[in-house]
Amino acid sequence: MIPLDRYPKEISLRDDARVVLRPMIPEDTDGLWIFLRQLPEIDKAHFHDDVDRREAVDRWAKTPDYEAVLPILAIRGDRIVGTATLYRNKTGWKQRIGIVRILIAPDHRHLGLGTAMIREIRHLGEKVALNYLMAEVIEEQQSAVRALERMGFEKAVVYRNFVNDRKGHLHNLVVLLHPMSSLEKEIFY
Amino acid sequence: MNCSICGVDHFSAPGRGRATPAGERSCPYQGVPYTGLRAGHDQIYFGRWRRMDATSIDLQRAYHQLERLLNGIAVALETEDIPAARLDLGKAVEALHTAGPGEGGLEALRYLDHALSYAHRVIGDLLHEKGLPPHSPADFAGWYDAGEVPFREDW
Repeated sequence: MIPLDRYPKEISLRDDARVVLRPMIPEDTDGLWIFLRQLPEIDKAHFHDDVDRREAVDRWAKTPDYEAVLPILAIRGDRIVGTATLYRNKTGWKQRIGIVRILIAPDHRHLGLGTAMIREIRHLGEKVALNYLMAEVIEEQQSAVRALERMGFEKAVVYRNFVNDRKGHLHNLVVLLHPMSSLEKEIFY
Repeated sequence: MNCSICGVDHFSAPGRGRATPAGERSCPYQGVPYTGLRAGHDQIYFGRWRRMDATSIDLQRAYHQLERLLNGIAVALETEDIPAARLDLGKAVEALHTAGPGEGGLEALRYLDHALSYAHRVIGDLLHEKGLPPHSPADFAGWYDAGEVPFREDW
């Protein structure tokens, strides 16, 4: 079981705003819907479902399975201003690799929230003994790439003209990996 | 002269000032969590060893300052459950040892820089656990003889 006893956790941003971090619950559906509608198109390109459709958001929010998909929300007042999601496979050869996706509301960027969310996911990844965290980012999202690199992620590969946005335009995909402490233990002990 | 509050040598007032109007020293780190670690980090961050005209003495000083900083971080981490920070501290120590205490040259500089970056990340982890934003040396640049502050974008 992934330990969630650190939540709710309150953090300060660079503008002194207080934000509460906690796992998403089914009652967050309305807030999540509003949050997703604020995001630029490029930030929504990775979703498997069309999150511009309310039923897709309902399905995501109302059936949480934290062992497979753990969305941590950043909430300012009663508004969702960011999400960090840790995706895990319960079985199989990638069960010790966690995939990270972080979304920040446009008006809450450059305040340190993205970095704080990376720190949260890194902490959770350590707690469930993952070997690697993996982040996939479209190359144009340079702020995200730099923030991930500053937090210990390393560029593993850049796939040229690899993924398409929702209008069909191709983009380079940057894959970044973060080795975790359990990997070091497995290699050296 | 080292500040009695944070323990490092910084200006007594921002902007190369030597004293407050009342003639007393003031400390920009007073009251902030992890005062010693933040000040210790910035002393190295803005240190002479990064300048073009740095001498081997500047490098040796930076090495020993980093050694003290990492020891301080290790003490702070003893009571915290942050595995990622422990891993980064280990990497910082490794980079510091690779740089060596009396080594010059670009490689030593690079490893000292790596060690300092890891240290910065661990200080950020400690602050995050307390619900605080990461430490930004740029906020304290006016208190040091800092020529140019590298731009650090936050996300």
